[in-house]
Amino acid sequence: MKRLIPALLLLTLAASPILARQTTEPAPCDTVAASGASAAAEQASVEYAEGFTIEYGDSYKVITVTQPWPGADASEQYVLVPCGVTPPDGYPDAQVVTVPVQRAVSMSTTYLPSLVELGLLDRLVGLDEFDFVYSPDVRALIEDGALVEIGGGAGVNVEQAIALEPDVIFSYGIGSTDYDAYPALRQAGLTVVLNGDFAEADPLGRAEWVKFIAAFFNEEAAANALFDQIVTDYTALAETAASADGRPSVLTNAMYGDTWYASGGRSYIARLIADAGGRYIWDDDESTGGLPLSFEAVVERGQDADYWINPNFWSSLADGLAEDERYATFSAFADERVYNNVAAVTPLGGNDYTESGALHPERILADLIAIFHPELMPGHAFNYYVHLQ
Amino acid sequence: MSTIDAGVVLGRVSARQQGRTAVRRWRWAFTGLVALLITAVLISLFVGSVSIPAGDVLKGLLGQETARASWTTIVHDYRLPKVITAALAGSALAVAGLALQTLFRNPLADSYVLGISSGASLGVALVLFATGAGLAGLLNTLGVSGDALIVVAAGLGAACVMLFVLAVARRLSGIAPVLIVGLMCGYFTSAVVSILASAAMPDRLQAFINWTFGTFGDVTRSQLPIMALAIGLGMVLMLAASKSLNALALGEDYARSMGIDLRTSRTLIVAGAAILAGTVTAFCGPIAFVGIAVPHACRVLLRTQNHLLLIPACALLGASFAIAADVLAQAPASPTVLPLNAVIALFGAPVVIWMVLRSSRMAAH
Repeated sequence: MKRLIPALLLLTLAASPILARQTTEPAPCDTVAASGASAAAEQASVEYAEGFTIEYGDSYKVITVTQPWPGADASEQYVLVPCGVTPPDGYPDAQVVTVPVQRAVSMSTTYLPSLVELGLLDRLVGLDEFDFVYSPDVRALIEDGALVEIGGGAGVNVEQAIALEPDVIFSYGIGSTDYDAYPALRQAGLTVVLNGDFAEADPLGRAEWVKFIAAFFNEEAAANALFDQIVTDYTALAETAASADGRPSVLTNAMYGDTWYASGGRSYIARLIADAGGRYIWDDDESTGGLPLSFEAVVERGQDADYWINPNFWSSLADGLAEDERYATFSAFADERVYNNVAAVTPLGGNDYTESGALHPERILADLIAIFHPELMPGHAFNYYVHLQ
Repeated sequence: MSTIDAGVVLGRVSARQQGRTAVRRWRWAFTGLVALLITAVLISLFVGSVSIPAGDVLKGLLGQETARASWTTIVHDYRLPKVITAALAGSALAVAGLALQTLFRNPLADSYVLGISSGASLGVALVLFATGAGLAGLLNTLGVSGDALIVVAAGLGAACVMLFVLAVARRLSGIAPVLIVGLMCGYFTSAVVSILASAAMPDRLQAFINWTFGTFGDVTRSQLPIMALAIGLGMVLMLAASKSLNALALGEDYARSMGIDLRTSRTLIVAGAAILAGTVTAFCGPIAFVGIAVPHACRVLLRTQNHLLLIPACALLGASFAIAADVLAQAPASPTVLPLNAVIALFGAPVVIWMVLRSSRMAAH
């Protein structure tokens, strides 16, 4: 017994170098895949989005997400380096990501159109929820069993996520530990980048996050071409709308229990309405988020609005009456000038308005101009909107 | 409770000495309660998130033209039904809470201990979260959809729990086991709701969460008569049971010795309370605290255990309390709205604490 303990100690000391070798050797770099890192690769510059910036160095990129969510007090930084290159000094708090990414997981359907249109679907290996996907290309992948579902929110299946061995998980946060998935994933040692596209109030700014995603795959060239076309189309449409006669007043959303969650006067939908030649009835409000109002306040301002868009999940006026018969007192309801963004939906809850619409605000804008100024868009087929009957 | 009080309640001792003072107190108390209710109603009608001149409010109430068309809509279609709903709901919850506090001889009892609001939330969760098939589909074929669907589902859920608890109450000899069964029903249904919610679509989840905030503003003029009828029925049952309640206030053994059939009276009281609370929960969502705080305040105010007096008093005070809470939740002169349950809890919790500390000796023993 007297000799046993020192013997055990000695054994432990001898074994410790072996025990301490927890890290595995890094995999050798696939030089074919590490393309696009040369100096000739195109760079992306951010003009409309306020939530992120991209800086380019000799052989690295630094992406700073200044506003991961509305009201966030801390920013996130990612240093993107090709495989085998040591990250530069000067970014002690940043997360290092090896690019181009080969295995990606998407935790929101808003990232899928970017991946589809940049031709990167072969890099997608997992999603948070299958049910809400609209994109036919991604649904095909789901049917083939090529994707894994890891769940979302605080209940995300971390083991499943680890088993996928993703290079990057594109996710988002709202600043609440009850609802955010990224803390649990990061604790497991996975690389999670926070995409703040939902916090952008400018429609073109929200679409510009395609460059954010493209940077992780060295596809800035394609993203630039795609985004430039979007800007051109959007600007042209906005100019057409600006030339229209008159600006009809527009009411949005509907009641949820006791509260009418309207949108702020500087919010995403408010800007789309303004660019489409409409007048949002709360355009004097300065906020970019939601505006919780009482029924009284909405009746006061919105009873005589010319148009009513985005009323909850109605697909017909009868749905509105079933929800609350007092909606009929709104003149837009009585005159059947109500439109909802439910043209492109799936039975499981997918809605293309929030999916491809996030990347293509010009399609939403075209729909809205066709609603407010039909004479400017004769023969327009709605992308996302339905005229409720 | 002193023997003289007991004697007064039972009518054995003449009400001449203690009684005369008591009657005067009750007269003042009831006058005050009625005045309070009228004040609350007036404030609720004339003050809201939108400032409307008093003359226009009166015109709007009568359905006449006002300076702005929206004002008639606001006053006639929104404020007036809301006040009536709040009054009905507040009185129903207060009376139900009173009866249950007496029945369970527990100063913290209210309709939650019967699992009624939990049963109602289970019904709502089933129609909101179980997409398509099931209860929602069945009711849809019956022509019930949207808002009415929520009401019917909540009512059915509350009714199922009520029937279960009633069946238990009839079989058991003591009242404490009924309390336990009711609470367990509450936990069970809450668990099922949580599981359903974890897999729910975000918009449905938001709708459900909004429902749990509680509101008096969702009952339209066409739904009001149904609500009033159901609550009227519950009140009638309660008044019919007031003799049993008076006896039960002195203890089960005493009540038995007075010839009260415990099983029948228990059934009657539980059914009445369940109808009252279930109706309110179905139309307004789960509303807390009114059932706990108001009965205590009434007992302190009237200093009696006579339920023939306490029931109307609780109805009046409960109505005022609910209307006042709603006015505060509407945050007058500001367009934003606070969740009703939060406002009630904010003011109700300190009241309950004070009441419990103060009136522990006035509890129904």
